[in-house]
Amino acid sequence: MNQPVPALEIKRLTASYSAKPVLWDVDATFPAGRMSAIVGPNGAGKSTLLKACLGLVPVDAGQVTIDGRPAKSALDRVAYVPQRDAVDWDFPITVGEVVEMGRYPSVGWLRRVRKEDRRIVAECLERVGMSAFAGRQIGALSGGQRQRVFIARALAQQAPLLLMDEPFAGVDARTEVALLELLGGLRDEGRSIVVVHHDLGTVRSFFDWALLLNVRTIAQGPVGETIVAEQLRRAYGATAAAKTSDDGLEELAWAR
Amino acid sequence: MGSLIDLWPLNYTDSVVATGALLLGVAAGVLGTFAVLRGRSLVGDALAHAALPGVCVAFLVTGAKDPATLVAGAACAGIVGAFAMVGIERSTRIKPDTAIGVVLSVFFSLGIVLLTAIAAGDNANQAGLERYLFGQAAGLVEADVNLMAFLAAGSLGLVVAGFRPLKTTLFDPAYAGATGLPVRALELAMTGFLVVAVVIGLRTVGAILMVAMLVTPAVAARQFVARLALLLPLAGAVGAFVGVTGALLSSRAEVPTGPVIVLVGFTVVGLSILLAPGRGVAWRAGLLRRERRRALVDGVLLDLEIASHGGPPPTQAELALGSGRPERALRRGVRVLHARGWVKDEGGRLVLTAPGADAAHDLVARRDEWSAWLEHGWRLRLPDAREPDPRDVRGSLGSEAADRLAAFRAEAAA
Repeated sequence: MNQPVPALEIKRLTASYSAKPVLWDVDATFPAGRMSAIVGPNGAGKSTLLKACLGLVPVDAGQVTIDGRPAKSALDRVAYVPQRDAVDWDFPITVGEVVEMGRYPSVGWLRRVRKEDRRIVAECLERVGMSAFAGRQIGALSGGQRQRVFIARALAQQAPLLLMDEPFAGVDARTEVALLELLGGLRDEGRSIVVVHHDLGTVRSFFDWALLLNVRTIAQGPVGETIVAEQLRRAYGATAAAKTSDDGLEELAWAR
Repeated sequence: MGSLIDLWPLNYTDSVVATGALLLGVAAGVLGTFAVLRGRSLVGDALAHAALPGVCVAFLVTGAKDPATLVAGAACAGIVGAFAMVGIERSTRIKPDTAIGVVLSVFFSLGIVLLTAIAAGDNANQAGLERYLFGQAAGLVEADVNLMAFLAAGSLGLVVAGFRPLKTTLFDPAYAGATGLPVRALELAMTGFLVVAVVIGLRTVGAILMVAMLVTPAVAARQFVARLALLLPLAGAVGAFVGVTGALLSSRAEVPTGPVIVLVGFTVVGLSILLAPGRGVAWRAGLLRRERRRALVDGVLLDLEIASHGGPPPTQAELALGSGRPERALRRGVRVLHARGWVKDEGGRLVLTAPGADAAHDLVARRDEWSAWLEHGWRLRLPDAREPDPRDVRGSLGSEAADRLAAFRAEAAA
């Protein structure tokens, strides 16, 4: 049988900031056309894994392929959404300009932005419900709206793979669900989405695939087989104990 | 440059000075903006101080005060200083601000020692080197101005050509890196811009105060515009104004140029920080005062409405007791209600007038809409990213959404 090419494949990736590895021999495969979550405790190296895939942090060893091509030569196939705190929200730039940034790589950094690109920018803003905000300075937005702007910029890149770093940190529950549904819609259009995420509840109900990470790969596969008590205990350590809630779902509880 | 010099309605010497100051102001304003937006203003300060020994060494080596040579020396020393800062930061556990402090003081000390040694020597040519400390616009000659124009045009050309990569890297380095931009090189270029701005201004503004010329235009301009594409030219214009005004004033008064430029710049920045619409301190204070007053008046109106429903209209003392508001605040609120004709005094008791009662009912309705949003808003599934204004849910979300909220609320109450 012909195996479909995964959207993102990581082989034996090791990365370290000092003597202690942040990522140790990580193997991971993210299937195309799915919504995948990278889950793990604080300090598990989730964000570093994304950055390493994009060459933003040095790696000691390992290979990353995007759509079957080495990551270095496939950066145009990826749209990356950094953590929201990574930018200065008082920066003098409007919502429309941030989204237009998503067009620069394909337009050419030194070329003029064409009418066609402006249409794409307007479409992406519409898609995330931010059309009315195009001319606003980004500092005037709420947390959820800021995240929508970042997603619109990623959409404007028109890349088949979306890598998102903690997009729901500091976003209220209502907006989180709205954004998750938006991402689900993108998945249904055939895009592959990989999200660093910490809320196990929404991982179960919205994601198809999960990588459980704590420096090394703990488990990966369909969410139903990955986010289970035994694996969570391995990822989060002995302090995590599983309890079964009324509706039969296993929940992570914290033992003292 | 001759044509630009001829444009001023001034005598030739002043025209040269004004042209030099204009070029310096535009360059420092535009190039300094990058440092301000990166939060690296003090790197500019350190680079300006670091350039001083470069000037001295260049003079010692060539024995001539040729502007191009001295500028080259300043640039070399600035670059060495920049690498020293980055090196200290990367290879030790010393924090960036400390690295800046170390480089600044060491290079500047070296510069002072060299200056003193040169002054004590018997080189007849050395007079005037000390003006690199506080700057002197008077005495700029056309050769200086030509060099400044060359450097300014070159670096501003680079800014225009590389505007998008620079903007992207400034705003979001992680994203820039992920799209394959050479982020390190671009950041290095922005530090290079600072070096260029410093060497353009060093002679006129002086090493000690050069940082003001880098910082003030960006800060003042940022008060008025919220887009980088507008901020850069406006910062250039502010820089030009500050530079020309300062240089002409100082050469008339025969005082060092640096301090005069700083004082002019401070005036511009102070006024814009105070008065700019939207971001200015006065504007924001006014907004805050209006908001507080509105909250107080609304609160008193609501207290009065509630008290009137529970029995006879209250006296002011009863209202104070019931609402727990400080007497003074209550008095202020009641005074506003009186002025609006919403409340009248009947034998010491506060009675809502007909318009007052309408206003109170409207306020209650708005509050109900907001609590309906908090309770049931998630069921609306708004199609876009609009967020309600707590005081005007209907106005901010539209009638359709507000009606649905009201329906949810009625349903929950039933």
